[in-house]
Amino acid sequence: MTKIWAISWKDLRSTMRNVPALAMMLLAPLALAGLLGFAFGGGDTFQIAATKVALANADVRPAAAAGEAAPPLAGDTFAGILTSKDLEDVLDVAKVGSAAKARRRVDDGDAAVAVIVPRDFTAALYGKQGKQTAVELYVNPTQGLGSSITESVVTQALLDFNGARAAATVAAVMAGGTGDHDAAAQAAAARFLQDGGASRGLVLSDREPLASGGDEGDKVAPVGLILAGMMVFFMFFGASNVARTILTEDAAGTLPRMLTTPTSTGTILGGKFSSVFLTVTVQTVVLLVAGRILFGIDWGSLDAVTLLTLVGAAVASGLALLIIAVVRTPGQAGAIGAGVYLVLALLGGNFTGTASTSGVYATVQKLTPNGWLLLGWDVAMHGGDLADVASKLVVPLVFAVVFFAVAVLRFRRRYA
Amino acid sequence: MSIVEVQALRKQYEPPKGVLAVDDVSFAIERGEIFSLLGPNGAGKSTTISMLSCLLRPSGGDALVDGHSVVANAQAVKSVIGVVPQDIAVYPDMTARENLVFWGRMYGLAGAELKGRVDEVLELISLVDRQNDRVDRFSGGMKRRVNIGVALLHKPRVLYLDEPTVGIDPQSRRSILDGILALRDQGMTVLYTTHYMAEAQELSDRIGIVDHGKMIALGTHAELVRIVGEEARVDVTVDKALDGMVERWAALSGVSSASVEEDHAELLVEDANEVLPRLFEEAAAGGSRITAVSVSEPNLELVFLHLTGRALRE
Repeated sequence: MTKIWAISWKDLRSTMRNVPALAMMLLAPLALAGLLGFAFGGGDTFQIAATKVALANADVRPAAAAGEAAPPLAGDTFAGILTSKDLEDVLDVAKVGSAAKARRRVDDGDAAVAVIVPRDFTAALYGKQGKQTAVELYVNPTQGLGSSITESVVTQALLDFNGARAAATVAAVMAGGTGDHDAAAQAAAARFLQDGGASRGLVLSDREPLASGGDEGDKVAPVGLILAGMMVFFMFFGASNVARTILTEDAAGTLPRMLTTPTSTGTILGGKFSSVFLTVTVQTVVLLVAGRILFGIDWGSLDAVTLLTLVGAAVASGLALLIIAVVRTPGQAGAIGAGVYLVLALLGGNFTGTASTSGVYATVQKLTPNGWLLLGWDVAMHGGDLADVASKLVVPLVFAVVFFAVAVLRFRRRYA
Repeated sequence: MSIVEVQALRKQYEPPKGVLAVDDVSFAIERGEIFSLLGPNGAGKSTTISMLSCLLRPSGGDALVDGHSVVANAQAVKSVIGVVPQDIAVYPDMTARENLVFWGRMYGLAGAELKGRVDEVLELISLVDRQNDRVDRFSGGMKRRVNIGVALLHKPRVLYLDEPTVGIDPQSRRSILDGILALRDQGMTVLYTTHYMAEAQELSDRIGIVDHGKMIALGTHAELVRIVGEEARVDVTVDKALDGMVERWAALSGVSSASVEEDHAELLVEDANEVLPRLFEEAAAGGSRITAVSVSEPNLELVFLHLTGRALRE
């Protein structure tokens, strides 16, 4: 053990004296996380700047039939939806007097989208079946995100309007009403809209907590997930930097010299493996502490964080040693390693700033050890306990064991 | 019993068609002697030392170092040998002291014993004043001293030095050679490889000459030189035709043979100092003038040339 520790300490000390290596291992992930976090608004909550919307409501109340009350203005209800408190973080709506003024605001760059409610909006909603109208969206094509959000909101609102009309019609039929179904539908739709039914479809709701111990109120700062992704990614490089010393020492003669001392090959390799693991663990701890101090990131419970750190270090170390075991020169290790790490990071979601993906990408992510590590960090940062985190770490641990096993077999053959 | 016994050692890389780097080499090294392996580059010297260091597994044969087999008992062999590799193999980003402490731990030293031994070796290699400086700031000679110091930490019984003076300045070389002689005087057994004839001549109690993986001659300097006789070779160039002069010189006492070789005469003489003046007298008497003369005392270069037909440093 003394010799293993001596080899580990030597390599760790050498790494700490290697300024470019330290920059890669520590400064790069912090800088990238900081920049990307700043770009996404930083702070405690996820923020995209509210989309500026110019709203022109040209809706007019249609003439009521004799003996009937005039229907409420659907255009006003629609405008109320867009200006509701629920959407104030998403849409910054300014009411303007006409469609032309609304379009001009978009042309002048003062708004990303103009929403133009037609004159016959209410008439179409309450009128005879088959009458169609359309809410116009006049968009600035360079502000794709904002216009997409606005379109989504408007579409949802219109679906609710249409749904209200369809629900009202169905209700009138089931009640066995006779006579003019349209009148019954109008009344039901009016009641539905007046009750704010349409706006109910636009409530933004939070997802369910990821873990049993999670606080539904917890929000994870985007910089936290970004730094988690960067941290896992740069752990690969940290491990590679130390593992590569096996090849550089082989070329420099210090490894063969070590093999002429009464130190077994197993001890030498064990020392090298330990030094990789130790260095990556130290790297991770430094990044965790720096993330806490610089960005206020709450990484989660200490035991969960410890487990994530150790398993992450094992994965990074095992992979780095496996690559070293199959290449011949430090140059090959650098080139091949960089390629492998980049592909894994892209597939595993290290650059997405989130551990939550969907569809095919979610499946692909789970084929990588780093993808599972990110899921584990996500659980920890959302308040998950040790058991919740551990369930995400079985797969990466298996990866680490396989990496180490293959590396040991290759090394034993090379240095027999 | 010899401290090192090499028995039909053989190494072939990538058999069956690969290079046969060491071919059936056998020799023994006595305790307390300096034994040199002399040969040109590629002769198999480093491969032999690598097998004796347990770095390379022999393809055939065996060697016993202090009674331990390099094949069957490598760890025991490594505990009694110190290896100074040809290239400097220490950590440049560590200080001299840090290097010695690390390598001392690799040799199983610890605690006060390690500290004491590091202090002794620093004294031995004259780097006490620079012990806390990084090795990458040392001169080439100083790095070589650290390189040698590492191998002495655990007081090995046999010290292997693989061409330790390649590429260094004469002063540093002198220092290293003096150091090796001092170690021998303290009872160390040394296996030294070199392609410098002068080093082998100066240092060695016995010399093994190797070429193309084979041991072609083995013995003391005097024994080896006797292979080519004890006569000196005198090469003489004159300004006129040589034939007549060669006959006159061959008739002189002290000249055992004389022949024409291309553009000069080659004479074998018993004592060059005694014969040279008479060569000049005879040339003058014959109407010729000697324009160039060289004297080659019997040496290992000649031995190698005699045995292989090639110069040692071609």
